[in-house]
Amino acid sequence: MPEELVRPAWSQQFAPEAIKELMANGPLASLTPEWAWGGSTGKGIKVAVVDSGVEYDHPALEKSVRSGVKVEYDERAENNYRIKPDDKPSDMSGHGTACAGIIHSIAPEAEIYSVRVLGRNMSGRAIQFAAGLDWAIENDMQVVNLSLSTSLEEYYGLFHDLADQAYFKNIVLVSAVNNIPEPSYPSLYSSVISVAAHEGHDPFTYYYNPTPPVEFGAPGIDVKVAWNKKQYLTCTGNSFAAPHIAGIVSLIRAKHPNLTPFQIKTVLLACASNTRRQKK
Amino acid sequence: MNSNQDNSEAKLSDQLQRLLIGIEASGRAVLPGSNDALLNSIVEAAARIFGAAAASILLVNEEEQMLEFKVAYGPSDRNLVGTKFPLDRGIAGYVAMTGQPIATSNVGQDARFNQEFAKSTGYVPDSILATPLLSEDRIIGVMEVLDKIDATSFGMQDMELLGMFAQQAAIAIDLSQQMENIEKALTRGLRRLVTADSSQDSTELLSILENPQSSKGTVRDLLELADLFNEISALGDAERKACLQVLKVFAEYRRSTRRLR
Repeated sequence: MPEELVRPAWSQQFAPEAIKELMANGPLASLTPEWAWGGSTGKGIKVAVVDSGVEYDHPALEKSVRSGVKVEYDERAENNYRIKPDDKPSDMSGHGTACAGIIHSIAPEAEIYSVRVLGRNMSGRAIQFAAGLDWAIENDMQVVNLSLSTSLEEYYGLFHDLADQAYFKNIVLVSAVNNIPEPSYPSLYSSVISVAAHEGHDPFTYYYNPTPPVEFGAPGIDVKVAWNKKQYLTCTGNSFAAPHIAGIVSLIRAKHPNLTPFQIKTVLLACASNTRRQKK
Repeated sequence: MNSNQDNSEAKLSDQLQRLLIGIEASGRAVLPGSNDALLNSIVEAAARIFGAAAASILLVNEEEQMLEFKVAYGPSDRNLVGTKFPLDRGIAGYVAMTGQPIATSNVGQDARFNQEFAKSTGYVPDSILATPLLSEDRIIGVMEVLDKIDATSFGMQDMELLGMFAQQAAIAIDLSQQMENIEKALTRGLRRLVTADSSQDSTELLSILENPQSSKGTVRDLLELADLFNEISALGDAERKACLQVLKVFAEYRRSTRRLR
C-alpha cells in the first residue's frame, strides 16, 4: 500500500513544470489543429452525455439538446434497470448540464443526447451507468462523454466489454479519470480517451501525457460552467476536463468522418499543445 | 469426568471469560468513541491545512439512501452531526453517486443553489471541495472542506491532498467496522464453545456473549461462511481439504479474471 499512497495523482502530470515536450515526425508532422478541426462546428455529430441528465432548456445549450433517456434502477426489472424516454430532459444535480455546456461551447452544432444514469438510489448506480453506456453504443452515438466512473471491481469486465464494443462500432468514449489513486472504470482502459485537468483556460490547449494510463490533460480548473435550474457555477475537477476533449473530438469527427477512434487519438496526439512538429 | 479434565475446563472457562471481557472492554473503550475522535482530528487537520472555515465527513446510509454527517468541524458543527439529506441533493450527494471529486466556487452568490439544504444547516458555503471515501472499491461516504479562507476557490492540489486525507479517514472508518465484525465473529464462536460444554455453569459467560447480531449483509454472510466451513471441517480431514480446495480454486479464478497486478 505505501507505493499506492505516494503515487502521484493524475493531474500532476499536467502541472506546467511536469509537461514533457513531444515530437511529431514524418507524416504526423503535417497534422495541424487547423487541418484537424479548423472551421468545424461539430455539425451533425451525435454526442451522448452519460451523467446526471442535461437541462434541455438551459440558455447556455442553445437548443442543442435533441432528446435523451433516463436509466432507472428497478430491482424487479431484467438486469435491475429500465430505460425510459426523456424527450425534455432535466438534470438532478447540474453536473451533466455543465459537461453538455462545455461540449456545446466548443462544438456548437453537435447534437447532444442526455443519458441520465443517476437517481435517488445508490445501490444501482454502477448497473445504471453501464446500461446508459450500452444505450449510447446501441443508438449510434459518435462521441460519448463519461465524466463519471466506477471503482467496483466486479464491473471491470462489463465496462471493458462495453469499451471494446464502442471501439469496434467506431464510437469514441471520452472519460474523466478519477483524481484519487484508485482504479476507476472505464477511464483506465486503453481504447478510451482518458482526461485529467490542467490549469489553463484556453479550451483548445490540451496536452498529451506520454506516460499513461491518463493520456490527455484539458482545462478543468475554475471553469465557468452551466448548472441546473438555469444557473452558472465555477467548478474544478477532471469531470470538466473530459468534455473539452469530447468537444474537440466532435469537431474532428464532423470534419473527418472516416477517422476511426485510434486515428482520432493519433490526431489528438499530433495536435496536442506540447507536441512539436518537426519540419522536414 | 475426572478431576484433571475438570481442572482444565475451569481454566479454559476462566481464560475465555477474561478474553471476552477484554474484547468487550476494548470494544467499549476503543470503539466507536476514539474512532470518532480520530475522524474529528482528521477533519480538523484537513480544515487547518486547506485553510478552510469548515470540514466534514458524511457517510452513505445505504438503507435510507441518504448521506449522514458523521463528524463536522466549523461554524455549525453542533447542529450537523447526525443530519441526513437525500443522495440526489447537493455537491456531496453527487460525489457519493459518481465517485468523482469536485470543487465549486461562487456557490453562495447564487441564492438558488441548494437553498433548501443550506437553510437546513444554517450555513451557506461560498466554495466547496468534496471527494469520495472509498473502502475497498465501494464508496462509503464523502469528505468535504468548505470555504477556503485565503482564496476564492480550492485548487487541483487541494483536491489531490484531500484525496489522501479521505483515504486516511476511510481506513479509520474501515478499521472500526472490521473490529466490530471480528468482535462479533469471536463472540459467536465462543458462545458456541460455551454452550457445547454442559459440565460447566456458563450463565455468566453466556450473558457476556449476549450481543446483538449485526444486520449488515456482509457480516451475516461472512459469519454464515465461517459456520459452513466449521460444519464441513467437523466432518473430517478429507472434507475440510475438499472445501478449502474449492474455495482456493474460486479465489484463484477471481484473481485471474482481474488485472495482472
